[in-house]
Amino acid sequence: MIADRTAATTLLASVASFSYHGDPGPALRGVEVVASPGTLTAVLGGSGSGKSTLGRILGAWLLGGRDGTLVGSLQLEVAGHPAGSGPLRFAGAQDDPRIDPGAWARHVGYVPQDAASMLSAVRGTVEEELAFSLENRGVPRGEMVQTVADIARRTGLDGFLHRDPATLSGGELRRLAVGCAVVDGPGVLILDEPLESLDQAGIRTIVELVRSELARGTAIVVLSQHADALTRAAERWLVLKDGQETAAGPPARILQGGVLAESGVVVASPEVIIPSANRKPEVDPMPAPPPVLTLPVVEAAAGATAIGTKPALELAGVAFGFGGRSRSSPTEDSLLLEDVDLQVVPGEIVAITGPNGAGKSTLLRLLNGLHRPFRGDVRVADESIAGVPTGLVARRLGLLFQRPHDQLFERSVLREVLFGLHPIFGTAAAERAKAALAAVGLGDSGHAHPHELPASGQRLLALATVLAREPSVLALDEPTVALDAHGLERLTAAVSAAAGRGAAVVMVTHDLRFAAAHAHRLLRLEGGRLRQF
Amino acid sequence: MSQQSLTLPPTDRKAVRRRRLLELLGAVAIAATFIFLVLTQPADIAGGLGSVSSLVALGGFLLGALLLIVGVLPTLPTSTVVLIPVALVLNIVLGQLMGTSGLPFYLDSIGTVLIAVLAGPAAGAATGALSSIVWSFFNPTVLPFAAGAALIGFLAGVAARYGLFRRFYLAPVAGFATGIIAGVVSAPIAAFVFGGTSGAGTGAIVSAFRAMGDTLLAAITKQALISDPMDKAIVFAIAAMLVYALPRRTTFQFPFVRRFRVLAGKEPAARNS
Amino acid sequence: MAARLNPLTAMTAAAAVLAITTAASSWAVSLTVAVGAVLLSAAAGIVRRVLLAAATIVVPFWLSLLVIHGLFFPEGRTVLASWGPARVTAEGLTFALEMGLRTAAFVLVLMVFSFSVRIPELVAALVARRVPPQVGYVLASTLLLAPLVAARLGTVRQAQESRGLVVGRGIGSRVAAIRLQMVPLVLGLVHDAGIRAQSLDARGFRSTGPRTSYTEVHDSAAQATFRVFAILLALTAVGWRIVESLPAGSLSAFSQFVGGPG
Repeated sequence: MIADRTAATTLLASVASFSYHGDPGPALRGVEVVASPGTLTAVLGGSGSGKSTLGRILGAWLLGGRDGTLVGSLQLEVAGHPAGSGPLRFAGAQDDPRIDPGAWARHVGYVPQDAASMLSAVRGTVEEELAFSLENRGVPRGEMVQTVADIARRTGLDGFLHRDPATLSGGELRRLAVGCAVVDGPGVLILDEPLESLDQAGIRTIVELVRSELARGTAIVVLSQHADALTRAAERWLVLKDGQETAAGPPARILQGGVLAESGVVVASPEVIIPSANRKPEVDPMPAPPPVLTLPVVEAAAGATAIGTKPALELAGVAFGFGGRSRSSPTEDSLLLEDVDLQVVPGEIVAITGPNGAGKSTLLRLLNGLHRPFRGDVRVADESIAGVPTGLVARRLGLLFQRPHDQLFERSVLREVLFGLHPIFGTAAAERAKAALAAVGLGDSGHAHPHELPASGQRLLALATVLAREPSVLALDEPTVALDAHGLERLTAAVSAAAGRGAAVVMVTHDLRFAAAHAHRLLRLEGGRLRQF
Repeated sequence: MSQQSLTLPPTDRKAVRRRRLLELLGAVAIAATFIFLVLTQPADIAGGLGSVSSLVALGGFLLGALLLIVGVLPTLPTSTVVLIPVALVLNIVLGQLMGTSGLPFYLDSIGTVLIAVLAGPAAGAATGALSSIVWSFFNPTVLPFAAGAALIGFLAGVAARYGLFRRFYLAPVAGFATGIIAGVVSAPIAAFVFGGTSGAGTGAIVSAFRAMGDTLLAAITKQALISDPMDKAIVFAIAAMLVYALPRRTTFQFPFVRRFRVLAGKEPAARNS
Repeated sequence: MAARLNPLTAMTAAAAVLAITTAASSWAVSLTVAVGAVLLSAAAGIVRRVLLAAATIVVPFWLSLLVIHGLFFPEGRTVLASWGPARVTAEGLTFALEMGLRTAAFVLVLMVFSFSVRIPELVAALVARRVPPQVGYVLASTLLLAPLVAARLGTVRQAQESRGLVVGRGIGSRVAAIRLQMVPLVLGLVHDAGIRAQSLDARGFRSTGPRTSYTEVHDSAAQATFRVFAILLALTAVGWRIVESLPAGSLSAFSQFVGGPG
């Protein structure tokens, strides 16, 4: 019943200011959002611009009083009438209204960027997870089963009802998160970076879902740092920078001005076109020129050995599989990587792409000995790493992981980069650390807590910790994920500087545009082998 | 549907009072059990006289722990409830590791102390009790120690409340004192329910006191007074280290930390009115 | 077999058996219960896991008991052997045996319960009994979180080794490594928990009204009767033991606890 009927809902929000408890200044100032039925609104901004904070306030995931100090007002109109008892006004005082997040979610659904954090994590199957909020509201079981089936159909999860949520792919997981939000029948849906780190297939299913929700009359707000196909289909943009609105209006107008570039939004040409219900697909008015990088490319990169340059990294006939733990047990058919050959000379940048699950991240872990090959040899800086502990290989090969959270452990940004530098550089360590931080644009953030940096900053900090050691090989796993335009610039500069001083760079990425623009060679990992793209 | 209120109703005073009563009953059950056990401890354990004491120890302490859990959990904000499983996993993983190491320490309450420092004595007590109950799914012998674990969480919360975590060197001192009290309270369980201790290291210390002619309860209590204070001093120090490693935005999520200024140097800037 | 059983029935049965075993306080009853638990686990097809898990707990415990009571038992009269201060007495060995068997029964019964119960069903059964939902959440979340935390610790370790962290053989190096691994692990888990809390609130976790369960829990009148019967039986056993011990109940002085036996 809830699933079938979505009442036309309008959300009017005005955030005069919001500051987190313990923060010196507000995270948001003077932002107004209106989400009307059947329309798509995009809130664009770089990393740390406050768009996630805004989305969470709209969805009552962040509450004034509990999570910070909110001044402003929130108002819902359902079918033309104010919901609840009129607008909720917040003055940042003790007697402010206290929103009931559960009741609010029946009108406004928020889907976080990390879809996994939407899940309760105490339900073993997709259907039980979908039913979680229905259980909490005491919906009778018969009705609950019906609603879950409806929502599964609506979000394309029909075939997955009995799967364990932990086994879903990125796109499926995000659809489940959307399902968990729409199961409450909200008229407004807020999606935080809905396309982040999805492959093409995943992007397509999410875009389709957004389109069908719009056609049902749902008001949708997308928060993103990409001016991509999805956000270009919006009627209205709102651009944020440092928690403040810098532009608002139709996309075409904003794309003309210089606000976007300044805000850190990544401008991409539409790869997938989504015609919204009543509009023609917009022609990309300003296809962003791929930033071309001119580097002293090693002329005969592919056949470098012929010239006599020793490859900085060399894989010969490497095979690897997860089949069994013991050395002998991965059988020929259980091999993930069958026969990988790769040579990268100093100063060369190689990008590797491939479908999800092809073993790209596994390949990177073979480079520094986190995984040991079942067959074949890995040589870094002309020395085999067989039998060398990973911690020692790390002096010659720096590996950057996807999740910066796992890599950072110190109390401050500077200490983080300094870690382990003294044994290598002695008294010059502090200088090296500062230089590495400056190279990624974090020179001023030395005293901040690593986990308090915005997502982009955390990735750049992790990059700095690798760069500071000046490894002869740099291995990067999805380096562009979570970076805004400023972050991408710094990544590009850092990677070219590293290559310029003679480091070999291997990166695994989904981002074909980035790879095509910055790599000397593009390889594809498929069927356990590396091929020229 | 649109007529439904979007805001929370004012706090239900009657429900609050009912929860308070449950907490109080839980505390009383634990205290009464302990006093009963000390007063009626069997003079001679040889004849299987431990039976009534075992029943009382098991029943009284477990009942107290359950009342505490049911009374406290619904009053906690969700951010604390969600953190409890994390704390329990820390407790259990480290506890299992230490249990097999042969050292006379437990280190099985780091998570409990962490919660107590962030969310206060009541949350700490509930976490301690839950820790024993959930851990008993893997190791049933910890189940009867639920009351002792709850006490540790409670005392850690009190220590945080009065600023003992504001100075790094005071945390182990608070832990040492907590260990003395917790050890004395837990000893009757080890003595009357299990007739000894579960670890080889602690067992050796107990037999040393027995060799000197102590009663089993006295020997186990003395062993606890050797192991527990040290153990809790270490645990409090580690918990303090972890709490100070957390970013401020995270610790300030917890009203307890904000209200009682639990952590040093982490005051909100002056402009945050 | 176990799937048809309401988790509360299994829990009541386990609790009743434990109360009766403790009340009986006889090695014969303990042995019977322990053997019964093993047979039951065999019937449920989990005997290997139960025995393995129980052994890792019970065997060190038995060793500890043997050291404590086998060698030092000041109350013992029948001395079988003695070396210096250590005296092996018949009473000490009997006591160790009795306690060892009782603990073995205790561990085995609870292990059979925890290995056969389906957590989602237990949570649903608790919800149906109006136990605060937070209790079920903490229980289920902890049990599901453990493998996740292990996996996460693995990634943290890999990420740090890739940054050049070499874990040496010395104690100091190991302790330092543990600190470096604990911090990101705890930070990450606390961070995730913060977001998950916001999600749970939005999904009605704090709603105070009645709740329902998507998971169906089997129950029957026969099981309900059995539960009442089991509780009554356990109460009788405990009552009998208390009444029986009353005349002999020795209210020894408090000073004895403080000073030990004179």
